[in-house]
This record gives sequence, structure tokens and C-alpha cells, in this order.
Amino acid sequence: MTETLTPAPAPATRPARLSRLADDDLALLLLIRHFERELLRLYGAGELNGTTHTCLGQEHVPVALRPLLGPGDFVFSNHRGHGHYLARFGDAHGLLAEIMGREGAVCAGVGGSQHLHRDRYLSTGVQGESLPVAAGVALHLRRTEPGALACVYIGDGTWGEGAVYEALNLAALWDLPLLVVVENNGIAQSTPTGAQLAGTVAGRAAAFGIGHHLVASADVNEIRPALEPLVARVRRGRPMVVEFRVHRLGPHSKGDDTRPPEAVRAAREHDWYARYAHDHPDHFQPLDARARALVEDVVAEVSARPPSRWSPCA
Amino acid sequence: MTTLTMAKALNEGMRKAMEDDPKVLVMGEDVGKLGGVFRVTDGLQKDFGEQRVIDTPLAESGIIGTAIGLALRGYRPVCEIQFDGFVFPAADQIITQLAKMPMRSLGKLRLPVVVRIPCGGGIGAVEHHSESPEAYFTHTAGLRVVTCSNPADAYAMIQQAIRCDDPVVFFEPKRRYWDKAEVDTSGSADWLPLDRARVVRSGADATLLAYGPMVKTCLEVAAAAQEDGRSLEVVDLRSLNPLDLPAVVESVRRTGRCVVVHEAPVFSGYGAELAARVTEECFYHLEAPVLRVGGPSTPYPPSRLEDHYLPDLDRVLDAVDRAFAF
Repeated sequence: MTETLTPAPAPATRPARLSRLADDDLALLLLIRHFERELLRLYGAGELNGTTHTCLGQEHVPVALRPLLGPGDFVFSNHRGHGHYLARFGDAHGLLAEIMGREGAVCAGVGGSQHLHRDRYLSTGVQGESLPVAAGVALHLRRTEPGALACVYIGDGTWGEGAVYEALNLAALWDLPLLVVVENNGIAQSTPTGAQLAGTVAGRAAAFGIGHHLVASADVNEIRPALEPLVARVRRGRPMVVEFRVHRLGPHSKGDDTRPPEAVRAAREHDWYARYAHDHPDHFQPLDARARALVEDVVAEVSARPPSRWSPCA
Repeated sequence: MTTLTMAKALNEGMRKAMEDDPKVLVMGEDVGKLGGVFRVTDGLQKDFGEQRVIDTPLAESGIIGTAIGLALRGYRPVCEIQFDGFVFPAADQIITQLAKMPMRSLGKLRLPVVVRIPCGGGIGAVEHHSESPEAYFTHTAGLRVVTCSNPADAYAMIQQAIRCDDPVVFFEPKRRYWDKAEVDTSGSADWLPLDRARVVRSGADATLLAYGPMVKTCLEVAAAAQEDGRSLEVVDLRSLNPLDLPAVVESVRRTGRCVVVHEAPVFSGYGAELAARVTEECFYHLEAPVLRVGGPSTPYPPSRLEDHYLPDLDRVLDAVDRAFAF
């Protein structure tokens, strides 16, 4: 049942060479990367207010999952969800308009960075809340749309929340097609995982008889085929926890990174962006330039739009 | 017409709703085989099956969260929170998801979830079986909060709540579960809309505003006051959010005096909102300040002391006296 119980320690040496990606995978990774960078720049320049949480360093998770999830599947995202949204819809204009409160926003600017709803995609910023909701959706899917699943993204910090366990219990008891994707970036805002999570994610999944799979790689070509049979099993009503060991490159939100510089440097050692640029410069450079330009265009175009209008009584 | 207890009226109302709409589900702790600790869901699992009447683990957050997920897919889940004091583990889902998701999505997502909560004291139970947490939920924008005071309303209101496309927190005054009355189960033509208050006794000299368990108490107060020559009007609010303010204002402007009665603590209780609204709307019609009768600011006491905690005939009559003496 449990694929991997003991998480592998972080590699001490530079990670292995990345394989050459398909164009669309690399383009999506780069779109998310430049979108997130632009957001931080816009906040720094005072063009955006409120708050945001970027997924810098974690882009490969939704990119790896993208073709494994179909239009009939539900995706529940969290506070760090821009990558999840972009991997699902590729809609940088709608997302930026949502964050900036401009016309054409996904939810008219009411939801903002953390509360997106579109078709079968829903996010919320409160940790753990989505799991029971995803369980309810999964119960419906099991009954009336067999083969579809509910995928919910959480972090390592989310495992402190009781709602997670209520949902895992229901998922195991009721054979729900629930895929829990954990982006374990080793730090919950400012608290290292070792200081906030007793035991392991794998051990907690095992306690419910729920399968667990650890992904330490950032190579989409490696990750995807390994996940394919596991996702297929979820579709047959076997809930699953897939834990990605990832490295958060940026702050939790903005300017609130309490890690020592060497920890951030160590995280950067794992950054697929620099690694891919090094390993495949000929493939990287043109697509990187294209993604950068695309995001710049999105920013220019969306910034010029008028504010979003909406009525609570509409 | 048929004679039903309030518990049975709720049961019959849910049964009718489940017959009318296959998307109606009942879920909660021990609602199936046991039929709920107050037997409000008695027999529903036997008749509608385990797919539609779901016994859940002890997991209030999980129950409401799962109900939200089901509602997203077109179901109309009716969740039973076994006792008032058990709703707090579900507060996160109710306040942060259920109440807010429709707004965040500009109404594209509707969540027709009913959260049934047996509420209030008077049955000799313990603290977390006797609370009146309505103000937490009336304070939360995005929820309808209603409560029934009699079997006929219970039968109609539970069906109206289930049909409603908004989330509804439905308080059931547990000490009135066994009260019997005639209930017309023939149709919905005579039902008052869910968000409307009802004048349950007409009077000319003062208005008693009550809901849930205190309506019956206030009717007894009005009968006793009649012997002293005072004519009290009793308004059963039924819907706490939205509040039927026009009905309240019409009554108080006519009588000139207003006493609010609830079991929950007076301090920051729902009565504070009523007092403020009545004062704003009826200032020049009032002969006395709006007075409030309710529980003290303590946790609900052990059952042997609950008669000291709960508003009763004497305490409400005393408030009425003060309103007249002002």
C-alpha cells in the first residue's frame, strides 16, 4: 500500500543532469517562473497591493501533473496556487487581472490571488480547508462520474491541521478518488518542517492505509511516468498521497524570508531553472526569452485595463 | 391535519424533501441506524438507503466540508450537528468556506447546504449540549440563520431551508422537540416565506421579540400579563438572518415598548442587534428603552442550576414591569 515510507535525505551534491523536456512543458515552466517573478516586481514597485505567495522553485509539480489530470477532474489549490492555475488553464491574463483587480479577471477580482474559481478548479488560502471539500466532490465523482478524481494541493505545514485527517479518514473509508499532492518545501512560512511536523507525511498516510509516493526529482520526464499508474489507481477509488520534495526559492510571501543565506543558496542548488539553462542552453534560451516577453506583454496589457466591475447583487 | 411532535415534524419534513428531490442527502453522526440522538432522522436511512442517509465519522469539519463538496456537485446535503457545542469544530468550514464561497465566485457557486443544530438548554444536559450559539452565525455574512418554535413551522421551515439555494444554519430548540401540535402536511400553499417573522399573539402595550425555545415562554408570559391587564404582543422572529425588520418595527411602533428574550448570554448576544435596530427605527415611538432578557455571561451551568440560567416567566415578567415603570 505504502510505496515509500522513509523520505530520502536531501542530496548533498549538485542534483543530476536534467533530461531534455518537450517544448510545451518547458514553456509552461518558464511561463510560471516569469509570471511569479513579475508579481514580486510589481509588488515591489507598488503596482500591486494585498499579498501573494509565489511558487518559485515548485513550478515542476503542476507541470508534471498537467497531462495526468483531465477536464473532468477537480483541482483544489491553496494560497501558493498560481502555478496550479497556469498549468490548468494557461491563462496568465485572467490570473494577473484577478490579482490586479482589472477587467477580464477570473473572478472579477473578488477572489484575488488565493481564492480562484473556474470550472472544476477552486482554491482557498486557509490551510487544510480544501481537503474535506475535495472529499465531498470525490464522493460525488465516485458515485456518478467514475474515473474522475479530485486532486488537492497542500503543503508540509498543512499537515498540522485537523481537517486533513478528517478528510483522509473519509477518503480511505469511502474509497474516494482523492489525490493529495503535497508540496513539501521544508518550511511552513518561517518554521522548518522538522520543527512543526512529527514523524513523516508517509507515516501519516500509512496510518490511514493510504498509499504514499515520494518524488525527489524536479525532472518532469522522470516524474510523470512514475505517477501515471498511481493516478490511474486513484481513479479506481484508491486515495493516494504524492509528496514532492521541493525547494522554495522565494520568501513565504514578500520580504519575509527568515532563512539564513546559506539555506536559500542550498535551495537554489536545486532550482530547475538554472540547472536546465546549464544542461540545455540551446533549448532553454529561446524559450526563456519568449516566456519573458510573453509575461511582459501580459503585464503591459492587463495593467492598462480599467478596474474590474462587479455587483454583489448580480 | 395530523398531530406531530416537533422532532417528528422535522422528520416528516425531511422525508418529504427527500421524496421530492433525489439530490437531498442527510449526513451526520449516528443519523442512520440510530436515527440521531433525538431521533429526528429516525427511519430515513431504512427508507432511503445508506447512499442518501450517511453515517459519518466524528468529524464535524469533515462533515460540513464534505457537504460543501457535494453541494458543489448539485446535491442538497442536510447535515446534522449532534449538539450545539459540537458545531465549533465545523466553524472553519461554515464561516470560511460555506458562507464565503458563493460571494467569492460572484454567485456562480451556490451552496444549498442545511446545517441542522439542536440548540439551547432545558433538558437537564451538560454544558456543550445546552448552548445557544446563534450569534456566531448571524454575525457571519453569507449564512441564513433560522429557527423554528413549533411543529408546524418545523415541518415547513426545514423543507424551505432545503429548497433554499443559500447555506442555512437551522437551529432546533431541543427542549421543544417533544411539544405536540397540529401540522398541515397537505401542501405548501399556506407557508410563510422562510425569511418572515410571525406575530404569534397580538397585543397593544408591549412587544416581546423571541425565537426558538423562548417563543413558548413568551406566550406564557403574555397570558400571565393579561391577568394584570397588560396586552403583550409576541413576535416569533423565525429568521435571524436576514431579520424581518419591517415586522419588528411595525409591532414596536404600535406598542411603544420592546423586550427581547433569548437563552444565549445577553452580552453581545443577538438581542443587542435587535435593541440597536429597534432603537434606530422606533426612537420616537418608544416609551422605554429596549430591554433584554437572556443568559448571564457564564458558560452554561451544570444541569441542576440551569433553571437559574434560563429566562423564565418571572424574569421576563420582571423585564416587562420595568418597561412599564420607566
